[in-house]
Amino acid sequence: MENMANKVARIPNLVDWSTGEVRLMSAKCNSCGTHFFPKEHYQHRPGCSREGVEDVLLPQKGKLASYTIQYYPCPAPFKTEKKITPYGIGLIEFEEEKIQVTGIITETDLKSLKLGMEMETTILEMFTNEEKQQVVTWAFRAVK
Amino acid sequence: MGFSEKVFSDFAAVAVEGALKDANIEWKKIQAIMAGIFIYGGNAGHLSGQYLESIFGETGVPVVNVYNACATGSAAIRMAYNSVAAGETDTALAFGADVSPKGFLTAKSDNAVQDRDVIRWKMGGLPNPIYWALECRKRMEKYGTTEEDLALVKVLMSEYGAKNPDARFKKPYTMEEVLNSVYVCDPLRLYEICPVSTGAAAVIVTADKELISKADKAVKINATTMGSSIYGDPTIRISALSCPAVAEAPMLSESYSASRQAYEKSGIGPDDIDVLELPDNSSWHYLVYLETCGFCKEGEADKMLRDGMTKIGAKLAVNPSGGFSSHGEALSAQALWQVIECANQLRGRGGARQVEGAKVAMAQTYGLMGNSGTTILTL
Ligand SMILES: [Zn+2]
Repeated sequence: MENMANKVARIPNLVDWSTGEVRLMSAKCNSCGTHFFPKEHYQHRPGCSREGVEDVLLPQKGKLASYTIQYYPCPAPFKTEKKITPYGIGLIEFEEEKIQVTGIITETDLKSLKLGMEMETTILEMFTNEEKQQVVTWAFRAVK
Repeated sequence: MGFSEKVFSDFAAVAVEGALKDANIEWKKIQAIMAGIFIYGGNAGHLSGQYLESIFGETGVPVVNVYNACATGSAAIRMAYNSVAAGETDTALAFGADVSPKGFLTAKSDNAVQDRDVIRWKMGGLPNPIYWALECRKRMEKYGTTEEDLALVKVLMSEYGAKNPDARFKKPYTMEEVLNSVYVCDPLRLYEICPVSTGAAAVIVTADKELISKADKAVKINATTMGSSIYGDPTIRISALSCPAVAEAPMLSESYSASRQAYEKSGIGPDDIDVLELPDNSSWHYLVYLETCGFCKEGEADKMLRDGMTKIGAKLAVNPSGGFSSHGEALSAQALWQVIECANQLRGRGGARQVEGAKVAMAQTYGLMGNSGTTILTL
């Protein structure tokens, strides 16, 4: 894993690297079994008591369920220091959690993307803030 | 005053004036105003009904302003219909007007906890068409939809748009031209995605027999419904950052719900419909909506398209107006505009794109984050 010192997520409570692996911060409803991402964005099954929602981390690895290649810069407030277009965006499936999550794909060889391939959660450095910290977002890359 | 200096209420006034003239109705006969909110318009846009009323002369009638994203117009017409159907009023006006900001639509708040839209713009790198491209790729894998199928939608829409004097884009495109257009988000190309537009639309709903008899071929609303999403819908919704991996509900379940409610309420089903205006925000939408609304089984829309079963002259004419592809979308106006297109087909006003003998028409919308409306009309 890369050196995560001096890195900060642009918005908190979405991506965690305290375990030594980069993982997405989800929540699970122990009543209806649904996983949420982001964790505050509840999507309970109708009739669920909504009791026992606990924070969980998604597994580090998942499978590529879909992807697109974006050819135009994403407008503000999206911001990166380096030009990233064209960039891949994937839907990564976490099978056991029954959830698919979107994220930028850091691969530069976009032709190598294939549905079903194994992907791992990583980070993308977006820009340096006034405190000289690297501001990051979550992202995915192919498992080599 | 040039087009670019005009504000949303100028456009709204043109649409309402047109509706009053078309229906041969005096302003004073309007007993309720159901107004689509123009979200980029500040106080004026959020109280668009009051602003509009002041232009035509304030009469003290109930004015309700409503926002349901791209299905805002559906909400307005549904409220107008329900007001008349409930006997609260005899005649109600529904309108929507929108001046779109240039380029991609983007974030409107800064609180990431309450508004997941903030996250997708600040960290996700996810403009709207990406959501459609992600679904389109899944569809290509699952059902064998090809790039030619996606291009064919634009070819057909542009053929109709060229015959529509009111279309914004009137150039017919060849398959080759569409396939040579640049990718916005692979597999969707520039000509396969509709742009944002400026526009206004207005509909008058009445049960007043005298007014109906004075109108030039009034059409009947058999049902006008709204739907929201159903738990387990696998579609990745615009604004969202995740979706269920296991489907427990149909795709685009908000539109599935709205259309099924309309079929049930009207007693009219897909087989009875001659004209369908569906929300072709992208070529993917054109295909999936035929399935979502029950015009064919899942995975069969591509064949319908290839076999010419959605053309003017076939049993079902899809988007004879040229669709959003030829008009763009003006958020609060577009659902009403679709209803007007349907009404004009039934009234035989389709000109070079008239669907001969059209007796039943359906307008279907699609809005952000689980909003949809269906209106079924007959002559
Ligand atoms: Zn629950």
